[in-house]
Parts: sequence; C-alpha cells; structure tokens
Amino acid sequence: MAQNIVTEATPYRTRPTMPPVLRGFLWAAIGFLVLNMATIAVDPFRGHPFITEISAVIGWVGGVIGWLLGVGGWEGVVLPLFGVPNPWVAAPGWRKYLELSTEHKVIGIQYLISSTGTFGIAGLLAMGIRYELMQPSLHFFTYPDQYLTAVGVHGTLMMFAVGTVALVGGLGNYMVPLMIGAKGTVFPRLSGIGHWLVPAGVLTVIFSPLFGYWTTGWRGYEPLASQDPSGIIYYYLGVAALTLSSTCVAVNLAATIVFHRSNGVTWARLPLFVWGILTVSLLNLIWLPEIQMTFVLGLLDRLVPFNFFDAIGSPLNYLSLFWLFGHPEVYIVVVPALALWNEIIPVMAQKSLFGRSWAVIGLIFVMMLSGLVWAHHMFTNMRNSEMFPFSFFTEMISIPTGFSFLAAIGTLWKSRYRLFTPGLLVIMSMFNFLVGGLTGVFLADPPVNLEVHNTFFVVAHFHYTIIGGMVFTWVAAMYYWIPKLSGRMYNEFWGKLLAIVIFIGFNGAFSQMFLLGLHGMNRWVPAYPPYLKPMNYEVSLFAFLLGAGFIGHGIHLWWTWVKGPVTPDNPWNGRTLEWLTTSPPPPENFNGEVLVTGSFYRYDIDKPAAVLHPPE
Amino acid sequence: MGEVVGFVVVWIILSLLAEWGLSAVKAHTLYDVIASQGFLAERAFNFLATWLTPVFVFVVVYLIYVLIRFHAPNGKPERSRSQFIRNKGFVAFWVGFSFFVNILFWLHPTSADLEQMFASDMPSRNHGDLIVDVTARQWEWIFSYPQYKVTQAVNHLGEDELELPVGRKVEFVMRSYDPFHTYDVYAGVIHDFWIPAFGTKEDVIPGITRYEYIRPTVLASYKTNPMVRVQCAEVCGPGHPWMEAPVSIVTPSHFSKWIKHQQTLEAHAGG
Ligand code: HEM
Ligand SMILES: [Cu+2]
Ligand SMILES: [Cu+2]
Repeated sequence: MAQNIVTEATPYRTRPTMPPVLRGFLWAAIGFLVLNMATIAVDPFRGHPFITEISAVIGWVGGVIGWLLGVGGWEGVVLPLFGVPNPWVAAPGWRKYLELSTEHKVIGIQYLISSTGTFGIAGLLAMGIRYELMQPSLHFFTYPDQYLTAVGVHGTLMMFAVGTVALVGGLGNYMVPLMIGAKGTVFPRLSGIGHWLVPAGVLTVIFSPLFGYWTTGWRGYEPLASQDPSGIIYYYLGVAALTLSSTCVAVNLAATIVFHRSNGVTWARLPLFVWGILTVSLLNLIWLPEIQMTFVLGLLDRLVPFNFFDAIGSPLNYLSLFWLFGHPEVYIVVVPALALWNEIIPVMAQKSLFGRSWAVIGLIFVMMLSGLVWAHHMFTNMRNSEMFPFSFFTEMISIPTGFSFLAAIGTLWKSRYRLFTPGLLVIMSMFNFLVGGLTGVFLADPPVNLEVHNTFFVVAHFHYTIIGGMVFTWVAAMYYWIPKLSGRMYNEFWGKLLAIVIFIGFNGAFSQMFLLGLHGMNRWVPAYPPYLKPMNYEVSLFAFLLGAGFIGHGIHLWWTWVKGPVTPDNPWNGRTLEWLTTSPPPPENFNGEVLVTGSFYRYDIDKPAAVLHPPE
Repeated sequence: MGEVVGFVVVWIILSLLAEWGLSAVKAHTLYDVIASQGFLAERAFNFLATWLTPVFVFVVVYLIYVLIRFHAPNGKPERSRSQFIRNKGFVAFWVGFSFFVNILFWLHPTSADLEQMFASDMPSRNHGDLIVDVTARQWEWIFSYPQYKVTQAVNHLGEDELELPVGRKVEFVMRSYDPFHTYDVYAGVIHDFWIPAFGTKEDVIPGITRYEYIRPTVLASYKTNPMVRVQCAEVCGPGHPWMEAPVSIVTPSHFSKWIKHQQTLEAHAGG
C-alpha cells in the first residue's frame, strides 16, 4: 500500500544529463582513480610511483564498474535493485544503441556493432602483420616485441570479441527470442549490462601495450608471461571482461531457450540456429569460468608472485588449463556457423531440411566431445602414452562435425537453390570449412603434427575454420537477415561481387600458408629466412585484397541499413518464426500470440508452420 | 537415380585425376626430409592425403554440381519437386564411411606409427647413441657432446652449430635454463627444438629434461638447404625468430675431424 504512494510522490529523474557513453568514460576515470589511490594508500611501493601493477589491477576494476554504471547501469540496474520504480526510459532513434538497453534486439545490434568495430581494428593489425611479413627482416615494426604484441592483440580480440561474440551475443541475442516466438529474454538487465563489458574489454586489450609490449600471443603461455612487461596484465583483465560478457549472454540465452518458448515450439521443432546457440551457451557456461580462473592464477602468479607455472612449479599445468578451455573455444566459434548453414540452405533452396535430427545430434556430440581433445595442442610436450587417447578423440570429433555437411548436402540434392548472396556465401563457407576440417585430420596424427605444429600450416588451418567457416557464415547471415534487421534489401550485384572478392582473397592468402608451413616457416616471427620471401609476399597481397573485401561488405551492409530499398516482411519466403512478424519487428516482437503447429523446415507443406493470433 | 549415377561417375573420374595429380606432387615431396622420423611423418602425410582426396573431391564436386545443376534460374522462390527428408542409404553410407575412415586413420597411420616411434625411444634400442646435450636459453641453442668432452660446439664465427654424422642414431638431451643466470627462476621459458628437415619437433620445458631420438640418413647442410637448421618453434620473447642454428649432416670421418677441431678450440679457449 505504501509503495504506490511513494511512486507518485517521488518522480525520479531517470535520464542522465550527459550522453551515457561520455558519462561512462568520466565515471570510469573516477572509478580508476579512486581505487588506484586507495590501493596505493594501503600498499605503498618503494619509490612511490602513482600506479603500480597491483593498483593498476584494482583501479581497473573500479574503472569498469564506473563505466558500467555510467552507460546506464546506475539507473537501469542498481536503482531498480533498491526498489526505485520506473527505472529507465530508452532514448529514441540511434541513441538507444549508445546506452544500456534491456531490449534483446537493441542489445543484439550493440553486440554486432562492437564486434564489427573490433573486427576492423584487429583486421587492421592483421594487415600490419602481413605488411611486415612481406620482407624477411624487420622493416615495419620497430621492435620484435612490438610485432608480437600486434599478433597477440589481433588474436585476443578476434577470438574473444569477434569469434565468440558476433554470432552469439550479436545474432543470437537478436534472433533467438524471435525464432522461439518469445517477447523478450529472461534476464534483460543482465544481458544489457553484459554488452558494455565488450567495449571495456576491447579497450583494455588495445591499450595494453601502453604498459609494455607483451610477447606471448593470445595464449599467454607461462612462464614467458611472468617475464613479460606489465602490459600482459591488461591482457588478462581485458579477456576477463570479454569472457564475462559472453557468460552473461550464455546464461540469458540458455534460460530464454529453456523457459520462454512460445506455444508449440517443442524441443523437436526447435530451430537449428537455436540448437546451435543452446549448445554453445552450455560450452560457454562450462569453459569460460575455467579460463577466467586460469587467468586469475596467471595474474596472481605474477603479482604475488607465486611459482605456479615456472620452472619451480609446472609450465605444463598452464598449457593444459589454457587448452582445456581453448579447444572448446574453437567449437564455440564454429558451432553457430554450422547451425546457420542448415538454417539458410533450406530457405534458399525452398526444400525440406534433410536429416534434421542428424544435424542436431552432430551439434550436441561436438559439444560433448570438445572437452576431451584439448591436449592435441600439446603433442610436442606430452607423455607418449597420452598421444593415443588424444589423437583418438580428435579424429572422432570429425564424425559429428561431418553431420552438418550431411544435412546440408542432402538438402541441396535436386533442389532449386537460389543463388542469392547469402546462399553463395554459405556454399563458399562449406568449401572453406572443408579445407579447414580435412587439414585438421592431418594435424590429429601425432607424427605429422610434430612436424607442422607451430608453423604456418597451423595458422592456415585455424583461419580456414574461423574465417572460412565462421566469418564467411557471419557475412552470409548478415545478408540473410539484414532485411529483417532493417526492413531494407541489399544490392545483389555488390553482394555477390564482394563475396567473390573475399573468396579469392581468402583462399589466395591462406592456402599458400599451408605450403609456407611445410617449407619451414614458423609462427610468431617478424623475421624469417629469405628463401621464404616470395611466397610470403604473395600471401600478403591476397591478404590485402581480403581486407579490402571485408571493408566493402561493411560499407555495403551499412548502406543497406540506411538507404537500401524497402523490402516485404518475408523476402526469402522463410518458415521460421522471425519471418512471421514485421521487418523490423516491433518492440514486443509479435503483435499478438504465436502458435506453432508445424515444422519450420518442411517445404512440402503449404500450411505455414505457425500462426499469429492478433491481440483481442 | 540417373542423377545419382551421373554424379558418382563424375566424382570417380575427378577423384582418379586428383589422385594422379597428388602422386605427381608427392614425387617432388611436399617437404624435404633427411631423418628417420621425418620419413615416418611424410608417409603418414601421404597416406592421409591419398584417402582424403576423394572426400575432398566429393564435397567440392558436389558444391559445383549444385551451382550448375540445382540452382534456380531466376530468384523466384520455387519448390523442388522432390521433397525428401531422409534417405537411409545415403545416411548409412555417410555415417558408416566416416566411422570407417576415422577408425582406420587412428589404427593406421596413427597407432602403428606411434608404436614405431615409441619403440625407437626405448633404452634397449639406444646403446651407443651419439649423445648431444641441447641447452635452450633466451636466445641461443648450445650444443655439447659429452662423450667427446666438447661443451659448446661453434663454427669459425663463434656461432653455435650442430654437426652430426650420417647414419648414426642421436640422443638429444634437452633442457631449458640459462646457464649464465642460474639464479633467476624466470629466465627459463618454453622453447621448441625443431629441425624442419628432420620432420619432428619437441618442446623444451623449464624444469624438465626431455629426450629425442633420431637417425639422420642423408648428407645435408644448411648451406644448401635452409630447412636443415635448428629453429625455435615456440614463442619465447623478442629474440624468438633469431633463435636458430645451422646444422650439417656429414660423413663419419668428417665428423671425427670436426670433433677434434672442436676439442682443440676448447683446449685453447680461455688459455
Ligand atoms: C582478416 C584477415 C586475417 C589475416 C590476414 C590474419 C592473419 C594472421 C596471421 C598472419 C597470423 C599469424 C601471426 C604469427 O603467428 O606470426 C594470425 C594469427 C592469429 N589470428 Fe588471424 N588473420 C585474420 C583474421 C583472423 C580472424 C577473423 C580470427 C578469429 C576470429 C583470427 C584469429 C587469429 C588467432 C587466434 C591468431 C593466433 C595469435 C597468436 O598466435 O597468439 N584471425 N592471423
Ligand atoms: Cu583444439
Ligand atoms: Cu622461441
């Protein structure tokens, strides 16, 4: 009873007076300074520097908290926790993307923007790496450790802010509730605040070199990390923020899939992309905390210091702890992409999905097996007896992975496949991932592995799976769903042309890296024996073409978003639920109640899979 | 059915052509190997390539087939006349074949080769090996020949070098620490002892002594083949790319001369 009175008596001002992002930066600075000084006061260091390694860590925590509160966490999360009513009024227009949001579609686009921006930055670093490698000696970077930092920042950002994020935090957040007929997600505030950890983490990693060039690459191998300058600390912390963000996504989307499916979306009818996101979320929930704890150990090893991972402790423990997460991570990246193939192909082909249950079983078994193969990254340093099980499971995991091909191939047979840009890119992605997967079989054989491990053969292999598999599919999915996101259609000519450009650039660059590896080119080297120069030179030229192609796609998609011709709600004639509503969807996703009565993947049936009952 | 037969015929023909192309490439060997372990790896590589070629061709031909035969001429959504969602034969073929191939690969080459590799590491097989102590430090490879009381082999420029007699089994005893700064626990990091032309590599890990057994079988030298070099293959800080050393595989008589030379050098060193 008292509560109502309070509500009316104290109209709380809920819009901040300055743009939330600006306020975020300001509060971050304040948060950093406060906790930094508090630490220095408690724990002064000889020579009295203003920032020490320890205060930099604790100050950083204050900075991140300030940032999260500043972008809207204060009004959107903290005040409501204390029962202050009417928490947060979303800004109109494009400004809603620049502040805390609780709407999954806005959050999805925020993740997509953050991921794309990071892809641009980390991609630029890749161009720098390839420019350096055009010559056999240092000519572009000033110091070798500067080059190694570029490689490390490139890898770290690409893995933790692009590979793990774009299809899950981005398209997953946007599409999953739509595809299960839900009006929202289970933990909208957690999800909203989670996004803002991405810019925090990315900025932390990008600016880490200011504290000294770190040389370990994205794996942070010990004991080298303990020896590195302080910049490595901001690698640990940046990754902590990024993985925390993905954990929030996993909690929210897994719960949403389990509890918020609309009437008739049974487990047997669950769309494939949703299965992909569910399996990936489980992987994230299991393995992200594991890597976070590992990095806490690494951080403590350095700050205290302990001797967990040096010659007195055991360097191999770090390696195992890293790859325990590291291998599932590659499936976290690729599983949503595999699921998307079989989401897009039936629609483009207007043909029923072949072997749907095999496709789902494949995703689930990949998820379960991915925790059993980590040490195939460690054939060069394991006991002999361990080689048998790890090569066994590694070879076996290609079987469920192949089920995604099985379903796709069965669906394509005798179809009328429409070669629109998304369709073309999916075909290209299947080719690329095939190369990545088959070269993985070579790597699974220890004697071959011992020769090509840590060479450019491996660099080529994993870029084939990640760029070739995941990034190509990401681009395909963007073209597929941009009409849904914006209500506008891209330009078919430019879409196809740019698809061909990245296909040529990608294959030209990375196929030759296999040969470089076989000819003795190792990784993490800004300088190499001169006999390897001609091929490196060519690789770099193709890499620049690839970079230009990605920029082209970015501009084209941006143009579509603001200026593309308006398109009908369901331009592809798809049957999944996101096509049942308007494009773009209203804030509540559906104007009415969704009732699903049939399969999303049966094109032999005229009746739509679902109906929308308008509100009474 | 006709469609299936047509596709299978194209697949078989192109697979045969691809196998023929592969054998042409294999004749030039994808990488140069000059040691026992390397031949093992190369054979495994070629075996896998031979079996995976038809798989690769299958999917690639299929995708091209789709682009040519199964694409809708105009972008109109038009249903396919055949709308099957299962086909027992195809699924059985696919799942069965992938189990078969993967189990085959694990038995051969993987397990068979591993047994062979482990056998060559057994003490009973390694009497009278040439022992080379390999010390990895940031950023240098140091080679000593304890049987000949040579503590650090160097060439005429004073750079570390590794010289081995052809045909004799070698036991590398590998450690990572800095002999000049033994008090610094952080000075040891992981390195990786790799001679590309030997076809194998092994991490050198602080706190652990590791062994590698190998028999170089071909005369070779860094001067004529840059793959005959020791190269650190695990990132170990800014000096990593330059952590390399030239290798030569020489005749036994040349090797004894070289060892004598090293002994004289050391006898005069510091004197
Ligand atoms: C855009 C084109 C790209 C190019 C030209 C490129 C190029 C490279 C090169 C040459 C290296 C090896 C550096 C070395 O070992 O010396 C590398 C490392 C790496 N890249 Fe990329 N890359 C690209 C995109 C990506 C993407 C999209 C991802 C993942 C989403 C990615 C993930 C990685 C990772 C994890 C490493 C390992 C870093 C390390 O060793 O610590 N890259 N990249
Ligand atoms: Cu792995
Ligand atoms: Cu190294």
